[in-house]
Amino acid sequence: MDDFLQLILEPMKEVFSKFKEFAPNILATMTILLVGILFARIMKAVLLRFLRAIKFDSWSDRMGLTVVMRKGDLWAKPSVAVGSIVFWLLLIISLLTGLSALKIHAIDNLVAQFFLYLPRAFSAVLILVFGYIIAGFIGRAVLITAVNSGYHYAKLLAEAVRLLLTVLILAMALEQLQVAPGIVVAAFSIIFGGIVLALAVSFGVGGIDAARRMIEKEEERKEVKKDIEHM
Amino acid sequence: MGDFYQTGVITTLHNLGKPSLERLETELRHYSSARPVALVLPALYSEFEGPAMPKIIEELSKVKYLQQIVLVLGKASDKEFKKARELMSPVPYEVKIIHNEGKRIHEIYDTVRRNGLDPGQDGKGRSAWLAYGYVIAEGKADVIALHDCDIVTYSRELLARLCYPVVNPNLDFVFCKGFYSRVTDRMHGRVTRLLVTPLVRSIQILQGEHRFLKFLDSFRYPLAGEFCMITDMARVNRIPWDWGLEVGSLAEVYRNYSPRRVCQVDIAATYEHKHQALSADDPEKGLMKMTVDICKSIFRTLASEGAAFSDGFFKSLAVTYLRNAEDTIMKYEADAAINGLIFDRHEEAKAVEAFTRAIGVAAKAFMDDPMGTPLIPNWSRVTSAIPGILDMLKKAVDEDNR
Repeated sequence: MDDFLQLILEPMKEVFSKFKEFAPNILATMTILLVGILFARIMKAVLLRFLRAIKFDSWSDRMGLTVVMRKGDLWAKPSVAVGSIVFWLLLIISLLTGLSALKIHAIDNLVAQFFLYLPRAFSAVLILVFGYIIAGFIGRAVLITAVNSGYHYAKLLAEAVRLLLTVLILAMALEQLQVAPGIVVAAFSIIFGGIVLALAVSFGVGGIDAARRMIEKEEERKEVKKDIEHM
Repeated sequence: MGDFYQTGVITTLHNLGKPSLERLETELRHYSSARPVALVLPALYSEFEGPAMPKIIEELSKVKYLQQIVLVLGKASDKEFKKARELMSPVPYEVKIIHNEGKRIHEIYDTVRRNGLDPGQDGKGRSAWLAYGYVIAEGKADVIALHDCDIVTYSRELLARLCYPVVNPNLDFVFCKGFYSRVTDRMHGRVTRLLVTPLVRSIQILQGEHRFLKFLDSFRYPLAGEFCMITDMARVNRIPWDWGLEVGSLAEVYRNYSPRRVCQVDIAATYEHKHQALSADDPEKGLMKMTVDICKSIFRTLASEGAAFSDGFFKSLAVTYLRNAEDTIMKYEADAAINGLIFDRHEEAKAVEAFTRAIGVAAKAFMDDPMGTPLIPNWSRVTSAIPGILDMLKKAVDEDNR
């Protein structure tokens, strides 16, 4: 009978001792998570106040960032959106930190990978944001220049330049994120190279007559010079 | 049928002979391929439940020259917005409904506000402004027509006659305002008959001839809510958000375009819509509020044209106006008598007394704050501050209508 009881109690004791060993880890995870939530909330509030103080929303409106959000059917204020992104980022970080406190090997690997990926994601966001602003700026500069030069398809040209730059920026961001880098680079090279080749061919074909006239004019000038020298 | 007299500095297009609606609509269809027309309808949801809107929808379903309808729906929940879309579905061409109370449109207002521009308070003026923005953003229409949604006597002839002068490229008009007589068994339109015309003429007596007053006095029904204009005008004209909407809009037309390119057209033999209560004791309600806003709009426009006002001027104005308005009552009494219309002289006199008080209130408000202007910035100004605002507006409306 004692043996039978031992058989039952032994695994229970083992489970209890393992739980005793594991309980502080769970407690640590919960604590990290709670502190993380609190910290994320405080950071969000502080960030929101800061963004409002520097009039981030108006700046986004003027720079075209708000339009990008609206095109994606996001109707929150840009400052609130940034605040929410930071909040969720901090929450994910605290969750992963909390999970790493559990000291489970598989989770540790996941956490390490996440933290390694974070700088890449951050630089991709920076590339997208600043790239969009620069693309808008260059697009507008092209539009103004083309309009002032009396170019008939000024808007089309400006839009084309903007589109090309957007493709370039997207490719850069995807390359940074290491999302199928081989395919991204190949696709970008094909698209960009194709456009440049198409432009070169169209310019070349369209300019055959102009080039012929220029060469003929040059030849005529040389002939005239030769005749004068003979005289 | 009216006379063929040309009034003042603008062109008056009368309803003469028996103009054929079919001919008008055929020509409009032909011209609108080169100059597409958008119809803007500022409406409240309650108007869909009234007698006017079903008739308007039925008539608009037969119109073939409109490119699109942009209806700005005010005071409506999300459910009512959906219902309004269903009710507008018989119209066989593009109808976009702007959900004025929706979260996306609220965000548009917030965006404008946080960039230091004031989109004003809710009302017909702001609704019209928003609709113009959408028409500009779409870029499909060269001409914008606008009429109210409470016209019980609506027929599509009204719309055709309103659009024709601007859509026909041979006539070269940029703005056309509708006029009509508001007569049932009695004369309505007290604010036009007993306030605007006598007031404008009284100011002319005191200030001498003034081009803006002459322009305003040229309109047979300056407070009519129906007009048609080229889309470019919607870019450059500022819009008052208060009751000074009609007078303020005319002031903007006067400011930006030559009167030679402005006309008024007889759009209906009879015109019936909802009537406002006088609210003689409360300048914040009903016709009194309307009167105060109209007077302020006239004073501010004149001041911006260089006219000088003083306390003495306003005292004289009150007396001159009262005399003029009393004379006007007698003229209308005679007009009513010969046409067998009911005419309550006592009520008319009470209205004039209330309007005199309203002029005083408006004068005080003007003297206290001559710069205070309830004008919503034009779209040209808004896009210079927020380059992407039209794209945002278009996206907001398109998503709401998806």
